[in-house]
Amino acid sequence: MNLRESSGIALGAIRANKLRSFLTLLGTIIGVASVIAVVSFVEGLNRFVSDKLIQAGSNTFVLDKWGFITSQEAYEEAQKNPDVTADDADILRLGVKSAALVIAQANSRETVRFRQQRVNGADIRGRSPGYEIIDDLTIADGRHLSEIDDQRRRTVAVIGPEVSDDLFPGLDPIGRSVRVGEQTFEVVGVTARKGKLLGQSQDRFVVIPIRTFVKFKRERGSIEVAIKSVDQASLPTAQQEVRNIMRGRRHLAPGKPDNFAITTADTWLEFYNNLTGGIFVVSIGVAAISLLVGGIVIMNIMLVSVTERTREIGIRKALGARRKDILVQFLTESTTLSLAGGLLGITLGVGLALLVGAVSPLPAAVSLPAVFMGIAMSCLIGIFFGSYPAWRAARLDPIEALRYE
Amino acid sequence: MLIQIRDMQRVYQVGEELVRALNGVDLDIAQNEYVAIMGPSGSGKSTLMNILGCLDTPTAGSYRLKGNEIEKLSDDELARIRNQEIGFVFQTFNLLPRADALHNVELPLVYAGMRHEERRKRAREALELVGLGDRMKHRPNELSGGQRQRVAIARALVNHPSIILADEPTGNLDSQTGAEIMAAFERIWTQGNTVILVTHEPDIAAHANRVVRMRDGKIESDVQNAVRVSAGA
Repeated sequence: MNLRESSGIALGAIRANKLRSFLTLLGTIIGVASVIAVVSFVEGLNRFVSDKLIQAGSNTFVLDKWGFITSQEAYEEAQKNPDVTADDADILRLGVKSAALVIAQANSRETVRFRQQRVNGADIRGRSPGYEIIDDLTIADGRHLSEIDDQRRRTVAVIGPEVSDDLFPGLDPIGRSVRVGEQTFEVVGVTARKGKLLGQSQDRFVVIPIRTFVKFKRERGSIEVAIKSVDQASLPTAQQEVRNIMRGRRHLAPGKPDNFAITTADTWLEFYNNLTGGIFVVSIGVAAISLLVGGIVIMNIMLVSVTERTREIGIRKALGARRKDILVQFLTESTTLSLAGGLLGITLGVGLALLVGAVSPLPAAVSLPAVFMGIAMSCLIGIFFGSYPAWRAARLDPIEALRYE
Repeated sequence: MLIQIRDMQRVYQVGEELVRALNGVDLDIAQNEYVAIMGPSGSGKSTLMNILGCLDTPTAGSYRLKGNEIEKLSDDELARIRNQEIGFVFQTFNLLPRADALHNVELPLVYAGMRHEERRKRAREALELVGLGDRMKHRPNELSGGQRQRVAIARALVNHPSIILADEPTGNLDSQTGAEIMAAFERIWTQGNTVILVTHEPDIAAHANRVVRMRDGKIESDVQNAVRVSAGA
């Protein structure tokens, strides 16, 4: 008996018990659907992150007091480090030969006002000149901040288009005064629109000179220094140069640990990968459990099916079916059943991923390997959980089976 | 000799007790005989029938079917003998309820590994032979009792087996339909087939050219009905 015969019988048996087959398959459907959905999300997120974040911060690393803090102990340890200052940034700008750009930067959140209009929780960025390259900003109107603005600690600002829209509806913002917290700044430029990243607006900010920022916001606070190396190859050299200069400035004896931190995009990427890896493992675990339950349900229903069809098995044996024929018939049936569940699950999972991708900022990329994995997995479940019922069917005694009522 | 049975024993264990269903049976059946096996219930005729049909094997003794030593065969080899050499007709028809008449008749050919087109052709011919050429696409529950039994006969014949084994084939039918079925067996026999019939009805047994009576696991009598001779013999 060939596969066509047995899959025909299998489809007939499934069609004869539509509702029962569907209920049997729920576990498999949900399991496969969640695998597909999760893999699609993580895949989409990965693609997104590597496209956007890494591209923006390519060849760039950050020197600051804190580094990448993931625990209370690390925080307390980092607190003992001296502050990083705008002067450090100036020294590095002169000293690091493999750096294309050295920017001093600091951030806070504040309400920005113009007359009765206000923007709450705007991203206030203190920056030294050249920030437009690392922050990837282009001017739409007016000018960027200059070296003189920084040296003279001028109260001037470049604002993002969303801030401009909200504060100056229908007005030209250039030359107008806005209040950031307690200080008044003159708007000298508006940047071009960038849109959203992971649902966050990238246009809701105010850039002011770093020395102005330090003067008003952080009299004794620590800032960050962003360093962009000349190219990918010189990234490690640039980091080493920064370390050497900082250790020299702080008179650190050889063998003593750094009292500052250098963070690269790789550090973030590693953290991100750990995070999504965690999501991945947990979701796959949940999916595995529902697939296990789904498999047990399939085994149960196949045992019922074998009992119900004892007489049919007897007839087939009397007419010359060998054990192998009966075994293959029932294995094909359980595999067809679980494969049907797998295909429904894939459809559901892909649909879910696309739906969420359409209505939320979370991106989704349907992963072809995941689809094939779903198909392979559901086939394996059918074979594995179908083999005991099939074996029971195959070894039935033909006389007993024929007599079965 | 088509069938050669020597000192056959079949012992069952029922709880603590040993039941000797067959207790030393010797039986020879030649090609194109029409044999009725009769006996009260518990006489061992069903056991003999199962062993003749290779659904069961004897505890002791020998059974030769067309030279095959049946008691030495494996399960799969027995399945092959059932497929090639035996055509079963049961009292309760035993058709697959979800399959149409044509597919039911095809079934032995499926297990013989025959190609699809050839199978279809042979099954159609067999159904036409029993007068059901216009009922091929009907399912068993759309057919009368007599029609169902004729589908079963077509199924038994489709593989051109050495023996047609019928177990109370008219037991579930009214006497008119029963007579039609017996006429069908008559035709099969006169075409040169070997027919073995298990029945407890003397009227039915009277169609055969030889009547074997059983009692307590032994053959009580074995009588030739000299009047009846097959045209094919």
